[in-house]
Amino acid sequence: MSRLLADIGTVFRRELVTVRRTPGYVVLAVGLLIVLGGLAAVGGGGGTGFVPAVVDFLLPTEILVPLLAIVLGYRALLTDTTSGEFAVIRTYPVSTVDYVLGVLLARIAALVAIVGVPFALVGLYVWLTAAPDTGIFATHSGVDSPLLFVRFLAFVLLFGTAYLSLSAAVSALASSRRSAIALGLLALLVGVLGGDLAILRSLSGGASPSEISGLLALTPNGAFRGLVFEHVIGVAFAPDGGFVQTGRAVGSLVSWILAGIVVAVTTLTYAAGVDVVVERTQERLGEY
Amino acid sequence: MSERALAEAVDLTRTYGGIRVLEEVSLSITPGITTVVGPNGSGKSTLLGVLAGAVEPTTGAVRYAHEGNADDGNDKRIGYLPQRVPFRDEFTARETLGFYAALVGDDPNAALADVGLADAGDKRVSTLSGGMRRLLGIAQATLGDPAVAVLDEPTSGLDPEMRERAFRAAAGRASDDTAVVVSSHDLDLVDTYADDVIVLDRGRVAVAGSRDRLIDDYGVDDVKGLYRAVVSDRASAESDIDTGDTDGDEGSKGADETTSESVHVTGVSDR
Repeated sequence: MSRLLADIGTVFRRELVTVRRTPGYVVLAVGLLIVLGGLAAVGGGGGTGFVPAVVDFLLPTEILVPLLAIVLGYRALLTDTTSGEFAVIRTYPVSTVDYVLGVLLARIAALVAIVGVPFALVGLYVWLTAAPDTGIFATHSGVDSPLLFVRFLAFVLLFGTAYLSLSAAVSALASSRRSAIALGLLALLVGVLGGDLAILRSLSGGASPSEISGLLALTPNGAFRGLVFEHVIGVAFAPDGGFVQTGRAVGSLVSWILAGIVVAVTTLTYAAGVDVVVERTQERLGEY
Repeated sequence: MSERALAEAVDLTRTYGGIRVLEEVSLSITPGITTVVGPNGSGKSTLLGVLAGAVEPTTGAVRYAHEGNADDGNDKRIGYLPQRVPFRDEFTARETLGFYAALVGDDPNAALADVGLADAGDKRVSTLSGGMRRLLGIAQATLGDPAVAVLDEPTSGLDPEMRERAFRAAAGRASDDTAVVVSSHDLDLVDTYADDVIVLDRGRVAVAGSRDRLIDDYGVDDVKGLYRAVVSDRASAESDIDTGDTDGDEGSKGADETTSESVHVTGVSDR
């Protein structure tokens, strides 16, 4: 176990150094901060409190966070496979699972910095400038509170991690930077729009509206939105909730994270084997 | 597997897009320096990739002497330097080796010193010369004292002095219980350092065995003569020898074409 953690830690540190030395990521964080600051200023969230600010942020967050997560992750595993360094790493006693986890954890740390810090700074700004008393740490519903924003931030990071894991899977599946960009954009499009469109389609196909909360939780965006409504926005004005089943939504986001890891590990482990099967088939067909 | 063999390849075949790049190759790797030579496109890089586990053979298998050992899986058993040195540009030489050394509990500074890069430890990989990169690659491949180190053209694209240095660094790792497998077009250096020679031609083993025995058997003076004698396309072999450098590596193109005797680029890269 300690060996496993040591190997993950070694890969993690290497990846973190790479991220730290990529100036573009700082630009992303600054860009997000400017966008969030602008939304807070235009929407008036800075003057009215955390919940109005979260309402202003919700839709842009559903697009920007997946986009940033994909930018952070689409080359995470591709870099080593295309350069040939992964072939070298495989000669060392580090498993593919350890390698993928080390890379992904470092990218999650980067996500926390690039996405989490701008959100936290805007939250601090709201706390300092909001007209209503937002200094109350609410223990009951109906009161705006910094804790609601902390919850929102936690959901944002969980949501971003789901997309980051999926983009890591994309980076394992892609064979070039160009194909990684194409697959990443496809994942973004399907994730952001696909889930809602699928729900609309199922409703038009006769599905009961009562099933919406259950269906909503299945996609990353739906799960995130449901959690924000249930535990942040709804707390202030709809304490009974009912937007989404919390366990199901959190389980869905965790499942997407695990799915990304499984796809990435499986691809890196078996891609060469698949290639060989294709070659064998091609050779057999050539014999006939 | 023979008693002395550290690795044994049995009936290795590898195809790409249905084309056979390696065809029913069987050989043993014993302690010492084994050099793999052959014209461009003869399958050297593929063979070395298969030996290192980086390339999966379409058919056949490689067996290693360490397989089945109790500690198998916890130690690094094979070292590998691909033809194109793959390290991250933004890392220093010491950071690069530090990463790999941490995985096997080795000392990166000692490894740098072993290949003569002690003073270049703080240089970024992007600023290292082609020769220094290859020396760094050799240091990486031999970290953790693997039983078999596989080095794909460690002298590719280097000036004569650096070639000698790279070959010497590689040869320095060979011992009674360690095999170093090196592919090279530099037949003079191969002649100087090789214990065993494998000549590949069109994906097949044209000849393999002890350098001294093969030279005796073929009645030639050196490995260059052996190469001329066994490569099937003599005309091609003649034109391949005595010009310059190697194939496939960006850093090598146009370099050293008249600086030393070795095998010439024919324009077909090894896969």
